[in-house]
Amino acid sequence: MKKLSFPAFLFTFLLLLLFWMLLTGQIADIFRGGFSWQILAAGILVCGAAALFCGRFFAHEELRLLLQPKRLGALLVYCLAVFPWELIRFNVDMAVRAFSPGLPKKSGIVKIPTALTSEYALSMLANSITLTPGTLTVDIVTEDGKNYFYIHWIDVASDDPEEAAQAIKGRLEKWIGRIWS
Amino acid sequence: MNIAVSIFLAAGLVFALAGTVGLLRMPDVFCRLQSSTNLATLGVLGVIVAAVIYTAFGLRDWAMTVKLIVLGLFYLITNPIASHALAKGAYARGARPFTGIDHLQDDLISEEPSENEEESHAG
Repeated sequence: MKKLSFPAFLFTFLLLLLFWMLLTGQIADIFRGGFSWQILAAGILVCGAAALFCGRFFAHEELRLLLQPKRLGALLVYCLAVFPWELIRFNVDMAVRAFSPGLPKKSGIVKIPTALTSEYALSMLANSITLTPGTLTVDIVTEDGKNYFYIHWIDVASDDPEEAAQAIKGRLEKWIGRIWS
Repeated sequence: MNIAVSIFLAAGLVFALAGTVGLLRMPDVFCRLQSSTNLATLGVLGVIVAAVIYTAFGLRDWAMTVKLIVLGLFYLITNPIASHALAKGAYARGARPFTGIDHLQDDLISEEPSENEEESHAG
């Protein structure tokens, strides 16, 4: 098991505490008055315990890459423009499919290669693919140092791995590569 | 503001309906999961966006607005993991795509030492 480094613990702890403050409404209470030290203390206890357990999985060294403005900018563009657009496009496609009289006849699991290597990039791409309706990540394997996704595709348009990869990943992989590689 | 709220609510409901119809109509477990993603992404997000607009500009309740945004974020982060776990679990239990297009199955067979070792070449 990986060792828990202190920066990883601190980062996880602070992020959890931020969410705690947001969810309990404490940040608004600072301005309104009515800030409660008891809630903050409970939050520190709970978030500390949680960070002890999951900090080692949550924060890796690669996270420092995000300190570079170019990568952070790419992340913002990805989250605010590239991904929502793909999400809406595939959602409309899937909604049409659900209402159209014929059911999908060519669905199946295809294997596609990916050029990404870092863990964050892989999990981000896998989750993005799962979140867009019509494609669903079933498994990730590593063969000879190269990573492959097994993806359930509602409409297998091509059996060729490269073409299938292009149709499924599209622009997503390019942008995730800009963030993490 | 009411118009914007209504538009987002209606869009969310349309996608929720599409997801439900798809969930009932689709032929196998993976396709059903695909349709449920439809429901879980734009179906829920549409409603959340409508609620955010309403709480931010109608009620002017910032604490509630922030909570809704955080809720949407959590939804986006956790949903694909649940879908993936369901698909993998279904596959491990023996569910297969009904069309037989299944590269994962092909590769599993090719890894086992069997007589069709030569013809199945994973790549």
